[in-house]
Amino acid sequence: MRHDTTAKASRLRAAAFAAAFAVSLAGAAPASAQDYPSETLDWTIAFGPGGGNDIMARTIIDILERYDLYPSDIRAENRAGGSGAVGWGHLYAKAGSAYDISTTSGSFVTTPLQADTPWQPADFTPVALLATDDLALVVNGSSEFETIDDLIAAAKERPITIAGTGTVNVDFIVPTLFAEAAGFEFDYVSFNSMADQTTALLSNAVDVMTGNPGEILGMIESGDLRALVYSGVKVPSELEGVPTMADLGYDIGVSMPRGLILAPDAPQEAQEFWIETMKKVVETPEWQAYINTNQLTENIKYGEDFRVFLVNTQNRFESVLREVGAIQ
Amino acid sequence: MDIFADLVMGLSLAITPINLLYLLVGAMVGMIVGVIPGFGPSAGLAILLPVTFGMDPIGAIMMLAAIYYGAMYGGTITSILLNTPGESATVASTFDGFPLAKNGRAGPALVMQAVASFVGGTVGVVLITILAPMFSQVSRSFGPPEYFLLASMGMLTLIVMIGANWKLGCLSALVGFALGTVGVDLETGQGRYTFGSAELIGGIYFIPVAIGLFGLGELFYAFYIGLHRQGAGSIVQFQKEKRFWPDRMDWISTRWTMVRGSILGFVVGVIPGAGATIASLMAYSLERSVSKTPEKFGQGEMAGLVAPETANNAASSGAMIPLLTLGIPGSASTAVLLAAFLLWGLRPGPLFMAQNPELAWGLIASMYLGNMALLAISIFAIPLFVLLLKVPYRLLAPAIVVICALGTFSVHASFIETWLMFAAGIVGFFMRLYGFSPAALVLALVLGPLAEEALRQTMTISRGSFMIFVDRPASLWILALTVVLLGLVPLFQKLSRAAGAAAKAGG
Amino acid sequence: MRIAFLVAVLAGAVFYTYVAFADLGFMTRTGRLGPGFFPRIIGLAMVAIAIWIIADHLRGRDRGAATPGRWSDVASLTGLALGYAVLLWLLGGFLASVVFLLAALSMLNPGRPLQNGALALVLPLAVYLLFDVLLNASMPPGLVPFPI
Repeated sequence: MRHDTTAKASRLRAAAFAAAFAVSLAGAAPASAQDYPSETLDWTIAFGPGGGNDIMARTIIDILERYDLYPSDIRAENRAGGSGAVGWGHLYAKAGSAYDISTTSGSFVTTPLQADTPWQPADFTPVALLATDDLALVVNGSSEFETIDDLIAAAKERPITIAGTGTVNVDFIVPTLFAEAAGFEFDYVSFNSMADQTTALLSNAVDVMTGNPGEILGMIESGDLRALVYSGVKVPSELEGVPTMADLGYDIGVSMPRGLILAPDAPQEAQEFWIETMKKVVETPEWQAYINTNQLTENIKYGEDFRVFLVNTQNRFESVLREVGAIQ
Repeated sequence: MDIFADLVMGLSLAITPINLLYLLVGAMVGMIVGVIPGFGPSAGLAILLPVTFGMDPIGAIMMLAAIYYGAMYGGTITSILLNTPGESATVASTFDGFPLAKNGRAGPALVMQAVASFVGGTVGVVLITILAPMFSQVSRSFGPPEYFLLASMGMLTLIVMIGANWKLGCLSALVGFALGTVGVDLETGQGRYTFGSAELIGGIYFIPVAIGLFGLGELFYAFYIGLHRQGAGSIVQFQKEKRFWPDRMDWISTRWTMVRGSILGFVVGVIPGAGATIASLMAYSLERSVSKTPEKFGQGEMAGLVAPETANNAASSGAMIPLLTLGIPGSASTAVLLAAFLLWGLRPGPLFMAQNPELAWGLIASMYLGNMALLAISIFAIPLFVLLLKVPYRLLAPAIVVICALGTFSVHASFIETWLMFAAGIVGFFMRLYGFSPAALVLALVLGPLAEEALRQTMTISRGSFMIFVDRPASLWILALTVVLLGLVPLFQKLSRAAGAAAKAGG
Repeated sequence: MRIAFLVAVLAGAVFYTYVAFADLGFMTRTGRLGPGFFPRIIGLAMVAIAIWIIADHLRGRDRGAATPGRWSDVASLTGLALGYAVLLWLLGGFLASVVFLLAALSMLNPGRPLQNGALALVLPLAVYLLFDVLLNASMPPGLVPFPI
């Protein structure tokens, strides 16, 4: 059974805290390798309940339980705060542990760029990249831009405005790299949420917006909004007919990683166990349903490949953000 | 008429025993969540969302929506009794709600807020029922220039809040603005006053500040003046209380307040992102500017409580319009409802109501029932809350500290925010003692970032030209309205006073 | 005491303004309003008004109504509250609340150990049941082992 607590200070967890201290003092104690897994799994969700990261973690946990993929208990715990810094900081302090796991999202890459976190994405033991968040460039249904070529041609004449959510985010990085490749200029207008930027686009305050199409499919379907280009490797079925950036010859290869990580320096048995387990998870219909409802791009990379992906993504982010002066 | 057919269909879906049960549970949970300081509707919804995964969507959405508007009823109770707003939409309710309670009118204040909430909520649903398609047009004409003007109008309330000593009031507001700039700058992505701390990336959340400044600050002040050493009685002097029910004057003097508050609240609520907070502040300013006795505002004027209360409830109904007709959440709470729609595999957008009439009309119909249920629950629960005031203050005070601390923690599970709440409590005591204005600080903290972001977005879009404010029809409308409110209303007042004086002189 | 508070506010304002000028640009390199635009204006205004208020105070004008009060009681409540803030982190929500309530009540309501003890147990238990069982919300976890 699962103890689905948000913060019940159970004896076990308290012991885990104590263990964290012991680890940082005396170095990692080797987990008993032979019979992995045999203990309760401590699943850190680095964000509050109801958010994207929380839903993904709980979806995976449900699948693990439904198919009996993890023999012991799983305790899911929301350790929110500091845009993920608290939760992943907790996992980082568990270096060497085989029973501490967490799911990643965009902030896993961006938070260390914005704050002095003790950890970097590459520090953790990578299990698997499962999916990526990709973006579409979207215009108002009444816009003069019928295709992406119209947009590029017009943008070469006069700079356009593109709305997105936040600056230290794919919403800014993707159009920046795309515009660089396609040779046009734009002014980026940063908003607090998808809802704010959609309203701005509907009111014709901005020319284009960028964002995950999941929330706005209804408006694309009704013709109020029009998607022009998609940044992922494969266009979701609802956006059929929309070209990808790669189709146009501008492959930019940046997206937000949704994956699974273990504590730094986790035992190899644990990493291998979780790679094998996730191979089963991604085959389940429940996981496919999750990918579809959230308009994610399935993009699976196991183990070290995931670490490489994280490092590359973070480097591209860093170079773009440094260029525009968002980070020093 | 079509609408009636739809509404009857919705009612028939809503009135099943199991759905009514869900509705009642939602309303109760909403009240409880609203009463706990810190625990606003969005936090309550996010936490309870997972419970609905296995439920039938109609029952689930009815329950979630009831939590949302139920919290608006409950949130005011602590504003009145403890001077502690549970969320930003009930900050304005403390301005006159708490003075009312202090003057020994806690009972009538609580009853009037429940009635005001009911009126605002119900007028809101009626307007949704008949005007949803028309108002979806309003929600799609708002961009950054309009939001900047709206936030500026909300800030007019600051003038009221700054109070007698303008220097101290201005300094309070400036400190609020300063705190509002903490966090990653939205436009450039550069950290401001974050000093490398991950906790500060997202900025300073106003809930711990508000709970600390208002709730704990008031408590420290009560200790300073020695309330805890008195036998019975509490912050609010309940022993003076003779009547539980509002008197005739309360009803008569707030008739038109309710009408104005409901309509203003609804219209502002329809605008995504403006929401209940700005609606309640604007309603408060409007009410004060049309009042014959503006000097009584802040001293315990019933209209000063009723206006923001009708407005925030009407706004929470209005916020359903962009959600249902466009799929755009207008607030943190409706964003959770949108997440729920997506989880159930629905596709919110302009076609949503046509594709899912049962769900949309079931929800709208349930809001009529939910508001009635909440009015009944409130009226029954008020005596219980009033009873609380008979607890000696020396026992109540430590309990308030515990509830403020645990409530603050529960929102983001953050110790830093809990500590911030305690720090704000100590600062709030000194502000109170030395004549500063904690309300101005909190308002500036809420509205400052909104205004700054919207202005900078506008300037990026217009490439530095202010003409954008008159080029766009919607913003021109708002400008015209502001001029009317600022210019004509005082003029009318002057004229009517002059006319009254002339009549007196003549008679 | 008032002057000390005012000077503290001024010090904060000066620090805020210093950071605004030292770290935050007035305009961005593309000529838009920069991250430091409003902080610089707000900071300067804060410093100016704070100095003005302090000057008024020193000249003996506008010292505010000095309500006499019980500083000692405020100080002990502050001490208790700060102790509670630390205990929350050490012991977790439930235990810290019990300890805080026992301490606060024995000071405020002396001589009634039974009433105090009952209240100190019942309130945290009620909040625990409400938050953890009914609402599934977070209570502060503790560093020290304790089963709730």
